[in-house]
Amino acid sequence: MSFVTQVLATLGWIVVAPLAISPIVWLILQPYCKGWSRAERRAADLLRDTLTPEQFRQLVWRGYLEVPSPTEPQRVYRVPRTKGYIQVIENGRAVMRLCVQPVECLPDADVIVLHKLMIEANEENYLQKANKYVCIE
Amino acid sequence: MLRVMSRRGDDRVTWDEQKAHAGDPEATAAVREAERIFTQERAKGATAFSVVPGKPTQRIEQFDPTAEQIVMVPRVVGG
Repeated sequence: MSFVTQVLATLGWIVVAPLAISPIVWLILQPYCKGWSRAERRAADLLRDTLTPEQFRQLVWRGYLEVPSPTEPQRVYRVPRTKGYIQVIENGRAVMRLCVQPVECLPDADVIVLHKLMIEANEENYLQKANKYVCIE
Repeated sequence: MLRVMSRRGDDRVTWDEQKAHAGDPEATAAVREAERIFTQERAKGATAFSVVPGKPTQRIEQFDPTAEQIVMVPRVVGG
């Protein structure tokens, strides 16, 4: 292999290697960068404005927000802090998991507010839209 | 205040209802802009809620310039 070919191959690797590694680096750093983004900060503001201090504490310490059903007194919806299923709890037992998501990509804090508002003021429509997975014991 | 959820967090439009009622041009323009955004988002399938701390959340169909805070959420689908 000539000297020129070796130099070209080395230069090629210098360009290709960072490009190949960058998605992995981004995947590692993304959760940390997310917390700093303007969108996340604005969404966190809305979340704090919407929740009571007690609800906010529950979300931070337990990792979920419990939203009581406005129509069924024994039913509570458990909304996770991060992406995931909504648990439906009836009389203290998990009876169903729901999968509902916005058509537009939103910051995690906004998604929590979305679930809370939909459950509190648009429960019927919310349940209609959700994919339901019944919990069987 | 109108808050519209988006990938940027929430976009906000604020107005002074009393000034708008008194005919202040700036406040009136802000109310018109908020109403335009409200209609545009509703047409895209968004749902609007009137949110007042300490009171039950209400879903609203029409823009209400007297509402303390309107939050608009995008259309949802089963995942």
